[in-house]
Formats: sequence, C-alpha cells, structure tokens
Amino acid sequence: MLIKVSSASNLGLKTIGVDVEVNVADRGLPAFEIVGLPSKAVDESKQRVKTAIVNSNIEFPAKRIIVNLAPADVPKEGSFYDLPIAVGILSSVMDCRLPDESLFFGELSLDGTLRHTKGALLLALFAREKGIKNIFVPKASANEAAIIKGVNIYPIENLNQLLSFLLNQIEFKPAEYREAKSFKKTIQAEFDMDEIIGQEQAKRAMEIAASGGHNLLMTGSPGAGKTMLARALPGILPLLTEEESLEVTKIYSASGRIPPEGSLIRTRPFRAPHHMTSQVGLIGGGSRPKAGDVSLAHRGVLFLDEFSEFPRSVMEALRQPMEDGHLTISRSRERVNYPARFMLIASANPCPCGFLFHPKKTCICTQREIEKYRKRISGPILDRIDLHVEVPVVDLKDLSGEKIPSKKGLESSFRIRKRVIAARKIQKMRFRDDDIYTNAEMKNSHIKRYCLLSKETRQLLLQAGINFQLSARSYFKMIKVARTIADLENSQDIAITHMAEALQYRPRVRVLES
Amino acid sequence: MQGVVKISDSRYPELLRRIDSPPQELYYKGTWDSDIFTNCLAVVGSRRMTTYGRQITNKLVSEVVPGGLTIVSGFMYGIDATAHKAALDFGGRTIAVMPCGIELIHPEHQKNLYRRILQNKGLIISEHKGNFAPVSWTYPRRNRIIAGLSQVTLIIEAAEKSGSLITARLAKKYKRRVFAVPGPLTSSVSKGTIQLIKEGAGIVSSANDLLTVYDIERDKPFKGIVPFIGLDGIEENIINKLQEEPLEIDMLARLFGLSVSKVGIAISLMQVKGILFEEAGKYYVREFYNL
Repeated sequence: MLIKVSSASNLGLKTIGVDVEVNVADRGLPAFEIVGLPSKAVDESKQRVKTAIVNSNIEFPAKRIIVNLAPADVPKEGSFYDLPIAVGILSSVMDCRLPDESLFFGELSLDGTLRHTKGALLLALFAREKGIKNIFVPKASANEAAIIKGVNIYPIENLNQLLSFLLNQIEFKPAEYREAKSFKKTIQAEFDMDEIIGQEQAKRAMEIAASGGHNLLMTGSPGAGKTMLARALPGILPLLTEEESLEVTKIYSASGRIPPEGSLIRTRPFRAPHHMTSQVGLIGGGSRPKAGDVSLAHRGVLFLDEFSEFPRSVMEALRQPMEDGHLTISRSRERVNYPARFMLIASANPCPCGFLFHPKKTCICTQREIEKYRKRISGPILDRIDLHVEVPVVDLKDLSGEKIPSKKGLESSFRIRKRVIAARKIQKMRFRDDDIYTNAEMKNSHIKRYCLLSKETRQLLLQAGINFQLSARSYFKMIKVARTIADLENSQDIAITHMAEALQYRPRVRVLES
Repeated sequence: MQGVVKISDSRYPELLRRIDSPPQELYYKGTWDSDIFTNCLAVVGSRRMTTYGRQITNKLVSEVVPGGLTIVSGFMYGIDATAHKAALDFGGRTIAVMPCGIELIHPEHQKNLYRRILQNKGLIISEHKGNFAPVSWTYPRRNRIIAGLSQVTLIIEAAEKSGSLITARLAKKYKRRVFAVPGPLTSSVSKGTIQLIKEGAGIVSSANDLLTVYDIERDKPFKGIVPFIGLDGIEENIINKLQEEPLEIDMLARLFGLSVSKVGIAISLMQVKGILFEEAGKYYVREFYNL
C-alpha cells in the first residue's frame, strides 16, 4: 500500500515542500530502503524509525518497505524525516487515515518520543504561506512554531500519542498561538554602565552607537576597559521590534540555536566570536551553507575583540554584509541568502605591544611594527565604521581619588536605555515609508532627505574636513552621527553643536611620521 | 631640477668646505640658490620623538624661521621630519641631507614631505649619486654634512649613543655652536641631550638663544597663523586648564563637572578653530596660541 506524507525541508531560510512516499509491499523479501538522495543522517533514519516503532509496542511489518523522498533530485539532509517516515509506515500498518493538509516534521528517539528539531518556525511560516492547516512537530519545538497565527501546531510527545490521535481515540488540541507582545522583556548584560568608572566619552559613544545602530571602533591599551564596555552594551539596547524578532528567530531556528521549549527571541543578539574563528564560522558557509556569526548577530551586536588580530581575509569578507545588510553564500549545489544587518563593535590595541600612548608603561614597538599593525585594519573597513573612540587607561589613583564621582553619580544602563529607546522611536517614525530602521542604514538619498544642514553647520563640517583630512565617505558618516545625536536630544534640526560633537568620533588618522 | 656641485665650484657652500673631509661632490635636487646656505640651523634628534619633543621642535622652528634661518636636517622620521615640516609650515626653507643616493626617497613613506621641500624652494642633497642604498656607515658620514653646513646645531631629543650625538660632536669639532634642549630626566631620549649639556653644550630656553648667534633681531613676537575666533566661558576654562597640563576629554569633563558631550562640543569647535590639537588622546593648546 502506498502512503504519501507531506513534509518540508529547509535550505538556509527558504523552505521547500517534500513528499515522503512510503510503500509497504506485501510481496518480496522484507527490506527497508530510502531513495531520493538521502544523506547519511537521513539513511540512518531507518534504524531510528524501526527501533522507535518496536519500542512503542507496535509490531514492525516484516515487509518490503520503500521510502521515496520527492523531489528525488534534491539532496536530503537532516533528521526530521523520521516522523513522516514513521507516520507513513504506521498509517499503512494500522490502516488509519492521515489528516488532510498536514505537514509532519521531527526526529525520533529510540524509545518512540520526539526530539527537539531545528527549523520548526520555518515550517510554520511555510505552512501559512501555502495555506496548509496543520503541522505536527515535536513538543519541544512547538513553542517556536506557535508564534505564527493561522496554522494549527500539534505538539507531539511520542508515537503512541500520535497514533491514538490518528485512530480518533483521543482529543488533541493544537498549541495556543502566542503574540509577540506576551513574551517577557528582560534585558541582560554582564555589566551595568554604572559599574564602569571613568570612560565617559566611550560610554557616550556606546549610547550614540546603540541609538543609531552605528558601527564603533574602540582603540586603547590592554586593561583600559574596552571589553567591559562592549559587554555592557546589551544593557542599553532596546528590545527587538516584532518584525525584527521574527527575522532573528528565523535565523536561529534554521541554525538549530533555539533551545528545546524555546520560542520567540526578543532581546538583541550579542555575538563575540574569537579572532581565531574561521571565515566560514564568521561569515557563514560550508557545503550546505550555514549562517555565520554575522547573520546570528542580525539586528544585534557583533563584537570583535582584538580586531586587528583577525586574519585579513576574514576582515575583508565583512565588507559586503556591512554594506548590504545581507549576504549570499553560493556553493556548487545551492545558493543561500542570509540577512546580516548587525552593529559592529570592534576593539583594537594601538600597537603590537599595546602600550603606545600609555601614561605609565613604555611601548617597545618600532615605528615599522606600529605602521604595519595599523595597516592590518584596511581602509575600506575603517571607512564603514561610523564612530571611532579612544579608550584611555584610567589611572587607579584617579579611580579612588576625588576626581571621580561616586558610583551614585554614574548613570545606570536603565537610564541610558530610556534615551536610546526614545531616539529609536524617532527613527522608526522617520523611516516609516523607507525599508530601513536606523540612521546608520541611511543611504545618500536618505541623508539628502532627512539631514538638512544649516549654512553654519555645513561650514563647520567643511572646515573640519580640511583640518582633520576627512574622506568623502567620512563626511556622510559625520552627518549620520550628528543626526543620531540630534535625535537623542529630540531635535528636528541638526544644530552646529550636534555636528561638533559628532566630530569627536571622526576616524583618527594618526600620522606618526608628522 | 637636479645636478651636482663639485668642491672646486664657487657655488660650493663655504662653511662645508672648511670641515676635515668635505664631500668632493654634492648631488642635489631643487633649485641651487647659494643664498640658502647663508644662515643655516641644524635641527636634529631622535626618531623616537615624544610629544614634548614635537612641541619644542614646532615652537623653536616656527620662531626662528621668520628670522630667515634655513633648517637643515636628515629627513629621518621623528624630530628630523618634524623640523622640516615646521619650517615649511611657517614659510621657511629647509635642506634635507640624505644618507643615500639622490634618486632614492628614504624613508619612502615621507614622499609627501620630500615633494613639499622641493616645492618650497628647499634642497635635497647627498654626496651619493643614483640609487645608492643607505647602509650603516652612510648615516654618520651624512651627519658631518649636516653639522658642516650649519653655524649652529640644535639637538632636540637624543638617546644615549645616538646618531644625533655624533652630529653634535662633529659640530663641536668644526668649532660650531651646539645647543641642546633640556628634557625630563625620566625620558630615555633626554639622556643624550643632558649628556651634551654636561659636556658644555648651550641650553636653549627660547628662540632668542638661537637667533642672537646669527645676530638677528627679533623685533616682534610671532603671531599664530590661525585667525582668532571668540571663546565662550567653557572654552576659556578648558584652555586655562590645558595650559597647566594636557588632559583627556574624560578628565576635563570630570574636573568641570560637565557632560562629556558638552566638553566634546567645545573641544571640537576649538580644534576646528586651530586652538587645540590632540595627541595620544590628550589635548594640547597650540604653542603659538598664547604668544
């Protein structure tokens, strides 16, 4: 008897329907074969399905079973074909009808229970798009699918439960739809801004970066507090908006990074890959292209500590996603597009030993070494970073002395975050008719429309351009940053003071030979 | 324009001819105008220039150049390059004496400076022709030309046993005046200058110390090239504080109890006006601002 079970397969963030055809033949020697370009994980499905059925106290048919995964010319990967295959066999053996317009998806454990399987959210989205009414997914994965309205998500615990339902022996209610708003809104950061003493300018730069989604480069000696500042950043970032939440959760679902029972992601991702991370790890790739850290940091923060230690090739590969906000990974067999609109927070030492310009320690690097070190971060990358800030070493003596205000005088992350949220709201209003969310994403056409400069302000910028040797691209960056500073003050116009402050964060070309 | 001047040539600088082993031939780039050799001041020092060294070089050179002195130096990065640049910035002429063949720009990353020297009636000279690469012995040999061309040799910063000390000793040997800038005792690039002072070099505390040697009167103090724009209260306070000691922006904000954003605005505006400059994260008031 031939049974057709519907399922779907995820390719990057795209989903294609897959028909699982199960034929249990009465004639021929007992066998169990899967055809349709199965990978190793799919082929091993035979053992899992067989054992799981036996362990669910159901007799496994000693018949000739052929499973075809159609379309047969697309390579199949992953463990989620377990459930559709098992359902096909059970339906044939127990002679039960499968519900119409249903997708089955999930990995089996040997005892017949269903395990958390990646990509359930994408399946639900696919079902909604194709008008498929029901999807059957493992219970542990149901939460992430339940954020999609209009699809019945059936959370399955084990094969016996599913079988009882298919035989109409029990009532089974689909999982309840959950609105994005209903998720709890906790913000967690390793440090609060009020724990960081000194570094007023760097903190201000963080605030501006968080408000406008700008990239930021911090330069300073080891121990100055660059890493601590970056780790405190999540505490001042606003929650993801509903649209952003869905974008991020999709990527995480496809990469299998949503924990069992996990659901919608509301906090902004914070990724801090080490500089030994491979290009594939950072950018994404592999023969079946996977999302890299740049995509996992989508709508969040990509923190690259010791930026100048990253291999040149990896650094240059950042250019395209930084410019476009997404990237396409092409392989011989497939081409996958992942979004990657992240905020780059980078930190670097001023020289190889790290102590150039240090108030106490002496730098032991030669001029040549310093020049060489500087060149590790290429111009095009520096050009794409809006905010440049120096993080000076805070003298311990100053920390304890009266020069520093007590902790009470320092602003907490909570208070800074309020301003950031207000500034983001203004931007959301401004860009309601555009397809961008933040000032950092503005293209030249947006700048022309939204960043009118008074004659005075323009003059200041031009004069600064000459004095500080700003590049043409830096010009636009300064305007963008000034726009964000104006937004932080809830000012419609970009005043001369906003531009003056923006100039503080201009790229520093340290001409050492001068 | 380029060419060569032999020792027998009447255009050959007289002061240089008088030293022990004057170069037989001087290759040059630029316009050879014998006038340039009339009043020469050698300004040399360490490659490892400190902020202090840069400040002093800029200050002294900017003040002697309007008196008509030609600044002679060795085109190396650090003090040498700063001296050349300061001379050009303030409308003066400068001579770079190369340790290599006349066709070579060494160090290469200073080709902008090289071009500027030639554009501003300066000279690039060397006793080597063609693409002769610099080797360890050409540097001290080159130093004898620097010392030989100049009535006065000024050492800004020098480490112990450095090339700048060789230049100073040669100048002394040629019976020229040697001046050294006193620096902090803690700095490794003050060791050489302090050594020179112990050995009898003159101490420079102002440009007048140098100008009197040449019998040049400095009638009025040199005014800055940047137009003065009015300051508000915060700016006034910041300048006063920075003249006491250079500080980071964070520290200024703390001292005045102002937000870093306010102080940043004031500092940016003053930088654009040319009153302040920044180095290693600290802000300095320009030397000529208060003159």
